[in-house]
Amino acid sequence: MNVKFFATYRDVTRVKQTSIPAQPDIRAMLALLAERYGATMRAMLYTPDGTGIGENAIILVNGRNVQHLGNMDTPLSESDTICVFPMVAGG
Amino acid sequence: MNAWTGVILRVDLSEGTIKREPLNVQDAHDYVGARGLGTKYFCDEVDPKVEPLSPENNLIFMTGPLTGTGAASAGRYEVVAKAPLTGTIGAANAGGYFGPELKYAGYDGIIFEKASKKPVYLYINDDTVELRDASTLWGKTVYETTDSLNEECGESFRIACIGPPGENGCLFAGVLNDKHRAAGRGGLGAVMGVKKLKAVVVRGTGPATVARPEQFFDALTDARAKLKAHPVGGTGLAALGTQVLVNIINESGALPTRNWRDGSVFPEADATGGEALAEKYLVKNKGCFGCSIDCGRVTKVSDGPFKSSGEGPEYEAGWAYGAACGVSDLAAICKANFLCNEYGMDPITMGSTIACAMELSEMGAIPESDIGFALRFGDAHAIVDLTEATAKGEGFGKTLALGSYRMAEKYGHPELSMSVKKQEMPAYDGRALQGMALEYATSNRGGCHVRGYLTSPEVLGVPVKVDPLETEGKPALLKLFQDLTALIDSAGLCLFTTFGLGLPEIAAQYREAVGTDETDEEILLKGERVWNLEKHFNIAAGVEKDTLPPRLLREKLPSGPAAGRVAELYSMLGEYYELRGWNAEGVPTPEKDLSLGIKSVGQ
Repeated sequence: MNVKFFATYRDVTRVKQTSIPAQPDIRAMLALLAERYGATMRAMLYTPDGTGIGENAIILVNGRNVQHLGNMDTPLSESDTICVFPMVAGG
Repeated sequence: MNAWTGVILRVDLSEGTIKREPLNVQDAHDYVGARGLGTKYFCDEVDPKVEPLSPENNLIFMTGPLTGTGAASAGRYEVVAKAPLTGTIGAANAGGYFGPELKYAGYDGIIFEKASKKPVYLYINDDTVELRDASTLWGKTVYETTDSLNEECGESFRIACIGPPGENGCLFAGVLNDKHRAAGRGGLGAVMGVKKLKAVVVRGTGPATVARPEQFFDALTDARAKLKAHPVGGTGLAALGTQVLVNIINESGALPTRNWRDGSVFPEADATGGEALAEKYLVKNKGCFGCSIDCGRVTKVSDGPFKSSGEGPEYEAGWAYGAACGVSDLAAICKANFLCNEYGMDPITMGSTIACAMELSEMGAIPESDIGFALRFGDAHAIVDLTEATAKGEGFGKTLALGSYRMAEKYGHPELSMSVKKQEMPAYDGRALQGMALEYATSNRGGCHVRGYLTSPEVLGVPVKVDPLETEGKPALLKLFQDLTALIDSAGLCLFTTFGLGLPEIAAQYREAVGTDETDEEILLKGERVWNLEKHFNIAAGVEKDTLPPRLLREKLPSGPAAGRVAELYSMLGEYYELRGWNAEGVPTPEKDLSLGIKSVGQ
């Protein structure tokens, strides 16, 4: 599956996107990213207690925010595109 | 006086007279300041049917009670007139340093009446206020005018002015202060041009007072700490600016592409985003008066055909010249945006009007001979060249200066103007963000993102998480956001404070500054009062009903997470009117007017 990184996440990954082995859900995918990119990535992705999606992480699956899909339990399939953003804004 | 100087300047440009009059304290209490108070003065004094580009259209500069104080991001002032582009109430605000300086000079606002026979500028140096000849400035750009006046009056003076588009009646000419800060939307610069008022120059050495200094200090300290601690208000906007939205809006399937014709996924979006801007062209970030957010971008294109420098682009301007025109060359987007600042035009309407011309040209509705070349989507040179032609009033630029609606109407296709009440919608597709669809349709100044900004909850999850594809709950949320943003604008604060602050923090600063014991809810009600007054003006002015371009209502998005969706406006509009206490036609009921203390407008 394809994972795309944006804004400050690119500073950590040094790549705009990467391929990862298929994961069953967002929980597993976040664990894989934290494992691959280390402590900084872990701190950005998770809540301080390590159980939820952090305030500074916006995660889209095929353009839909996982907040509206099932958060950590959002199921994934191999063809999905996942986007990882920090909290950004404009206007 | 509590947070006010208590003095309004009234300038009769026809007679050349300047009077000082006391601030209407009751109106300041009821309508807060800036946007609300300026609108109240305007509604009381001007016929809603006034021709916008006539001397009878007053032009008002108004500060808010918090402008120039130590409140978080309190550098804003409002420009109010009947808007030439829309025929609605026109209210546009800007940051920078001009607003606070006006208050330090001892004035809460300025009301300009009628028109001068020759170009003039208003000179304010504390108690010295006089109209001066501006004949040698007429025809100069915003940058040239600002530099000339700073040389003539002194470097410490703050300057708000217009460029040639304002002088020449461009319907989306803006009023620019501190060179790069724009009261941009609706064409208020053209109202200034009709009055032959080239600039307002101000220097003040007085204080901005507040009613309860100790409590006010506590309130602003709390607000500033919360703003700094927020991931967006604290570090996010400083690092990547507003253009960082390009990618997340695009990935959410809400970035309108090629005049909204090709859906809302732009494959080349990443090349135009905030990340690319920071990597290639960012020199430094900067802030306005008293602001810790520092979202401004000082940018420079060092070489190539679009070599240039300036500030921005902000997200909506970057989108208008980027995805909306199908252009992925960020250097060209930067240069086109710089030209808008330099000459004094709204880049959202400018870019969107070029996008509309591109579609009309591709379908053969605009003859090639009218434009001078075969205009096509994706033409990076065209966005720069046509912006310059519009700024200078040359060739096809004269038609572009009408905005997209009047241009598309001229060529037989008004339905292809992506505008509401003749003002172009910005960079969020209402088919993918249903709340934004309702927001555009009901905005009191036509297509606009800062009369509510439901993008924040719909995409970013701030301050609440709502599903962008759902319509349920959106009317109530929008009403709250509209009333709150009306309050924030009227107080003299920047809307970006909402990325960290809510009603309690904003109300606390207002309460201690003006010395009131009103509750948060009573203070929010003032925002609702402002919204209803604006609506009354528009009704009396004969503004068209609340709706959207047919493309949003009928053409389904072809791809992305909202594929197959249209804007479901009419499943939300009735509930919205009901929540507002308006009748089914969108007219405030007598009961609502009575509860808000609003008397009729224009009768």
